[in-house]
Amino acid sequence: MAGSPAQQRIKVDRIACTAHGFCAQVAADLFDLDDFGYPIVRHEHVGRHMSSAKRAVKLCPARALYLPSTE
Amino acid sequence: MRAHEQALVHALHAARLTGRGGAGFPTSIKVAALFDNEADLIVNACDGERGAAKDAWVIEYHLREVAEVVELLCAGGSRTVWWAAHRGSSTAGRLAEVGLPLLEVPHRYVSSEGSALVNLARTGVAKPLELRQPTADGGRDSRGRRIEPTVVFNAETLWRIAQIMQYGPAWFAAQGTDEEPGPRLVSLSGYLSHPTVCQTQTGVPLSELFATAGGLPSDAQMILIGGLGGGFVPAIHVPGLAWGRQWLAPLGAGVGSGVVEVLDPRLCPLVFMGQLIDYAAGESAGQCGPCMFGLPALADQWYRLVVQRNSPEEFEHLWHGVQQRLDLLRGRGACHYPDGVSGWVRSGLSVFAEHIHAHNQGFCPTGGHQPARR
Repeated sequence: MAGSPAQQRIKVDRIACTAHGFCAQVAADLFDLDDFGYPIVRHEHVGRHMSSAKRAVKLCPARALYLPSTE
Repeated sequence: MRAHEQALVHALHAARLTGRGGAGFPTSIKVAALFDNEADLIVNACDGERGAAKDAWVIEYHLREVAEVVELLCAGGSRTVWWAAHRGSSTAGRLAEVGLPLLEVPHRYVSSEGSALVNLARTGVAKPLELRQPTADGGRDSRGRRIEPTVVFNAETLWRIAQIMQYGPAWFAAQGTDEEPGPRLVSLSGYLSHPTVCQTQTGVPLSELFATAGGLPSDAQMILIGGLGGGFVPAIHVPGLAWGRQWLAPLGAGVGSGVVEVLDPRLCPLVFMGQLIDYAAGESAGQCGPCMFGLPALADQWYRLVVQRNSPEEFEHLWHGVQQRLDLLRGRGACHYPDGVSGWVRSGLSVFAEHIHAHNQGFCPTGGHQPARR
């Protein structure tokens, strides 16, 4: 299933996202917020930020973050 | 996949046919996915882009060939087929007349986007889907509901498949440039004596395309290629240009869905752009925050930049603000609508920079109409 961690990306389901802003709190190394509170992904390729990526996916109240399969 | 299906995929691969709806995805891959997943099929005859008329042209003159290809792709009727056209359009009328299963698409820019058609066919809502995996494989929407395998083909693409079956891949690939082979349709509209749909190929000089529409008027100044997802090309460049990515990409345009619109030189281009940015903001499906809030914010910033007189410092600040807003519209929607609008406005800022500066000095080079604050 999961390929090499170096290729792992994090994606925002833009329809599901309703700007709770948790991601920018729990994974500040990966996310900023725009002026309307929607996430700006700083590093789409997760790389060494894997642990905060997983934390953000887990804690997003809208279930809008996901780690697509790297195949 | 059965032998004759494999042969078709092979022929499409050899012909190097790509989708004629705008995205330019290799058709052989899509057809293979259709067969592998026994997917249902949607024919997109919506002419969704601004100024597009070629899907209507295909349905009017080549419906029989398209229907034959659809029959073949659907294994003789064992899979569901929808023919998508805008509600009340002449194309919808024609399809209904001959008894084809019509998918009536509401009049909104994004409603004819591929995933929006899938959504409309499956759930009755014409809004794009965020696809965590391709719909050909059977995806899931943002609420986790399963979307049955569905593939969308542009009407012209299906007609090209019919031609490749009739004349062979070599015939097809020999036309146009090596990079973008095959015959193509281009819709020519706007400030022209005879707006038309012309049959052409890449590598053909733009002046020859315009000749089919009565020629490019001598007072034309600006051309919009690719509609709301395209870019502006100054008319003075036309003599050196041909249809195709290699000529258009350096100017921020591309063949896309094959639409060319000549702007009326008597109308201030900033009025034209302002009206279209307002229109674009209203056409968002309202699902993704960056688009739903970003496009109206862009419109507001645009008007502040071009309508009022600004000091050089204010101007610099507003210009930078619009650029930042355009950056925020990129790659942040479920569909590529905000990306397209972002590129189109950026192209306008570039080609109309002098005009925008003139407005800030309090005069309009076009004279006549001035953009008014809404």
